[in-house]
Amino acid sequence: MRSELPNSRAWPPRLNSAHPPPPETCSSWARLPRALAVAAVMLFLAGSVAGQTPPPESQPAPAASQAATYVGSEACQVCHEDIHKAFQKNPHIAVEKDKKRGWETHACESCHGPGSKHAESASPADIRNPAKLTPAETDKGCLNCHLNQPTHIGRIQGPHARNQVSCVACHAVHKTPEELRPRKITAINAECTQCHTAVWASFRRPYKHKLPEGAMSCVDCHNPHGTHLPRSIQTVSANEPGCFRCHGDKRGPFVFEHAPVRFQGCAACHEPHGSANPRMLARNEVRFTCLECHANTPVTAAASRTLGGVPPAFHDLRNPRFQNCVVCHVKVHGSNASPELLR
Amino acid sequence: MRAWPALLILLPLAAQETAPAPKETAFAIQEAAPGAQETPAAQETKPAAAKTKPAATEAKPAAQETKPAQEAATAAPEAAASAATAEPGLTGSLDVGYRWRTGVGGSLDTYRSVVNLGDGPKLFGLDLSFQSATRRWFDRIGVRANNWGGDPYNTARVDAMRHGWYNFNFDYRNIAYYNFLPSFADPTISRGFFLDQRSYDTRRRMSDFELELLPGRRIVPYLAYSHNAGSGRGITDFVSDVNEYPVADRLRDKTDNFRGGVRIEMSRFHVTLEQGGSTFKDDQQVFTSDENFGNRTTPFLGEQLFLTNLTQAYGVRGSSIYSKALVTANPASWIDLFGQFLYSRPDTTVHYAQYNTGQFVNLDALLFFTSELDLLNATAKLPHTSGTFGFELRPMRRVRVIESITTDRLHNASFASLTQNVIAPPLTPQSADFTDRLVWNYNQQQVDVLCDVTSRITARGGYRYVWGDGLTRGSLISGLPTESGTLRRQVGLAGLNYRMAHGVSLNVDYEGASGDRVYFRTSLQDYQKARMRVRYQPVPSLTIAAGFSVLSNQNPAPSVNYDFLSRENSASVLWNPSGGKRFSLSGEYTRSTLRSDVNYLEPQTLDQARSFYRDNAHSAAAMIDLALPRSGQLSLGGSLFRSSGSRPTEYYQPLARLVMPIRRGVAWISEWRYYGFGETFYSYEGFRTHMATTGLRWSR
Repeated sequence: MRSELPNSRAWPPRLNSAHPPPPETCSSWARLPRALAVAAVMLFLAGSVAGQTPPPESQPAPAASQAATYVGSEACQVCHEDIHKAFQKNPHIAVEKDKKRGWETHACESCHGPGSKHAESASPADIRNPAKLTPAETDKGCLNCHLNQPTHIGRIQGPHARNQVSCVACHAVHKTPEELRPRKITAINAECTQCHTAVWASFRRPYKHKLPEGAMSCVDCHNPHGTHLPRSIQTVSANEPGCFRCHGDKRGPFVFEHAPVRFQGCAACHEPHGSANPRMLARNEVRFTCLECHANTPVTAAASRTLGGVPPAFHDLRNPRFQNCVVCHVKVHGSNASPELLR
Repeated sequence: MRAWPALLILLPLAAQETAPAPKETAFAIQEAAPGAQETPAAQETKPAAAKTKPAATEAKPAAQETKPAQEAATAAPEAAASAATAEPGLTGSLDVGYRWRTGVGGSLDTYRSVVNLGDGPKLFGLDLSFQSATRRWFDRIGVRANNWGGDPYNTARVDAMRHGWYNFNFDYRNIAYYNFLPSFADPTISRGFFLDQRSYDTRRRMSDFELELLPGRRIVPYLAYSHNAGSGRGITDFVSDVNEYPVADRLRDKTDNFRGGVRIEMSRFHVTLEQGGSTFKDDQQVFTSDENFGNRTTPFLGEQLFLTNLTQAYGVRGSSIYSKALVTANPASWIDLFGQFLYSRPDTTVHYAQYNTGQFVNLDALLFFTSELDLLNATAKLPHTSGTFGFELRPMRRVRVIESITTDRLHNASFASLTQNVIAPPLTPQSADFTDRLVWNYNQQQVDVLCDVTSRITARGGYRYVWGDGLTRGSLISGLPTESGTLRRQVGLAGLNYRMAHGVSLNVDYEGASGDRVYFRTSLQDYQKARMRVRYQPVPSLTIAAGFSVLSNQNPAPSVNYDFLSRENSASVLWNPSGGKRFSLSGEYTRSTLRSDVNYLEPQTLDQARSFYRDNAHSAAAMIDLALPRSGQLSLGGSLFRSSGSRPTEYYQPLARLVMPIRRGVAWISEWRYYGFGETFYSYEGFRTHMATTGLRWSR
């Protein structure tokens, strides 16, 4: 039994303090308008908020644990034998074994808080359960250690974080390394499709990327922690869309670019998850894919406010020769030899 | 093959490090049911069945990435874990067997374009893990391989690590791409020819090596190398004035990417610095030596146009350097800062040569000629800079403010010099120089305010402003050298996450935008996007989920009049009573509809016309697993896709699978599967086939 852990700096015990958190007062709510006002001006001047009293760190531990003390993982094992056994294969067991982290023999309590009261009462109310906290509070527990790492950069602005998808929604903290961080392609895809059911349904279409076959995984194209690109598209070569990782021949730069490829990416013309149309095209015939932009409206870009409205030529689309534009415009993704993308 | 040197190096090491094999067989039984390694057919319907994890209080999103710049956090503890708890020796599973395919009824080319699985002996799956007893060179090596033996997609992966010293990952993919669909590009189909003039029979091989040193320390250097090569053949068109000729195409491209960097992970901040570069080459060749009359069926000005000999050689070489800097910091408990700077500068040089003989016409000069030689030298450079800065501010315990600013800007400048030399009849060579330019600047600023209204409800509101400008070359008809466009869009954001009692969770996400400037007629302009997900888990063995999403987009400009609407409704259920001891059931269904309507003018008449596209699709998958005596398992299910609208399509894949343990550690696995595909408007592209697979699985 001990009430204070050594080397707490290495593993900041923000969520695990045996000391009660400062009670939230009305004054914190009273600061809300000011905080929002600051947010509204984008808070570029961080100094403007520095004048405010920093809020207390999140302390969602149940009140019953206020007087609790640390008892060690062995005490947890007595009742939670199954979790203890599974945890032995989990990478987080390093917390239990590693003296540097300051939680040696107390890995359970590093996330769940001091457990003496719970050990005595066996009541769920006497222990902190991250799965029942708000996602932000759950994440904060993880970020105690994982905050200053590359994943956090994308995560802050990533859609998963914004939609309250906490770390533990994907990462099984108690289980095997594969469940903590899936590496098998089928396991990754299964994890993603638990929520993205409709996306997975797109892969049942005949023309698709080979995810159901196990040749690719969702994270080959998307970074679940977020990127600076829309839809958390992976990047390659620093800031190029991850599509070019496989489709290197489409990467360019081309001597004569086709603007939508750069401006809107592959999804301007393709349904990357799957389509009933060959080549995963967004339209059933190629000509419609093209004509929706190259609409022949006799208006210049300046007047129409859209690019590409005027076509490069007039063709008789009743002739089968002209019904598929890419028969002649063979380098539709960009050409190195023809401004009209003919070769 | 570049995959094997690493395997050959690592496997002997593994053999040395592995503890002495037990007296009994090296593979001992662990499970009888289908486990980690599914046959490809099984994989396709597995995701629903794989949902055995009890639903958390919120949605379950994607898993983690395997890229080196992402998961430092798990690397060190993972290594420590294996060092602390691993039992030395070999564990894993091996699936081998044989696949039979009945003859393909209907179009074999479509079958190869969609499925492309063949007969023969196969290595369906290999998943081995070696735990070192001595831990001299490594703590653990994992080797995985799937779908080897002539399948169209082969994968292999090796993970090796030693705690505190290194993490090594190797990933290999070999993916075949066959695409021959006459309905896609065959102008001559009315004449009875079935030829896709844009077809491919290629393979793409990708290898990725990553080595991370000193994982878990404050300073973590890393190195990585990627190789990506595509090769094969196809059919493309040689385009000459007023006629185009389908000809053979030989494709060969290669990209090598090198990068290295260092991660500095301190208590209050993190910095990643990376420098990389790549080389690229594309040696596509188009050729024919047969007489070819092309797609034109009639003489032009009384002359029959034809091609007798062609050589087109694309010699494209490219290189790139790039830099990456990432920073996060938490200077105080109430604020996190983050930023990244990304810069790349790819460039391309081109040497193109074309020699063609036959009968051609030059429309500009109204000249018929029989032989031509074109030479082109060109270069292009595309500097590309991206940056993001933002912070998460926590002014109160329940409130978070996330602010981010992103900019992404590139411009491409190119120059080409073309010499056209008409050899017969002999003419003076004509030279022409081209310059081209493309500019794209994109900026986005977004602020979100998230509030934990109660312990069960989190609400979110925000605002996004997107702006930018672009420049590209003008069309020939407009006569303008360039066209420019601008982007301006204001987006309102909202979200709600409600974690109700009794295992119910609800997530709602909404975006509504008003834009007055867009780049293209079909770009997002005035749009509403909403998504809702609900999950219900009344008991641990039963999970029901449903999702709904809608995207509505309009561009009301009179010359555009674009109207787009898509909806997706999905539901899934997983029932796993008693842990699946007797049976388990999984199923999912998705109904999606898409409607797109935009005006255009027929090029030949300039009459008003509409591009109207509809797609109404049903997609479903189900699987029931029945426990059999002696730990056997019978699985029945499959998937279907059926759509109506602009391209009505049906695609069915029922399957049955039997797994029977033979002895300890060995199971017999058999599977039957049917593929049926049909398209209402292109009946000649339908196919159907049966496939049977049988094999053994060793597991330990």
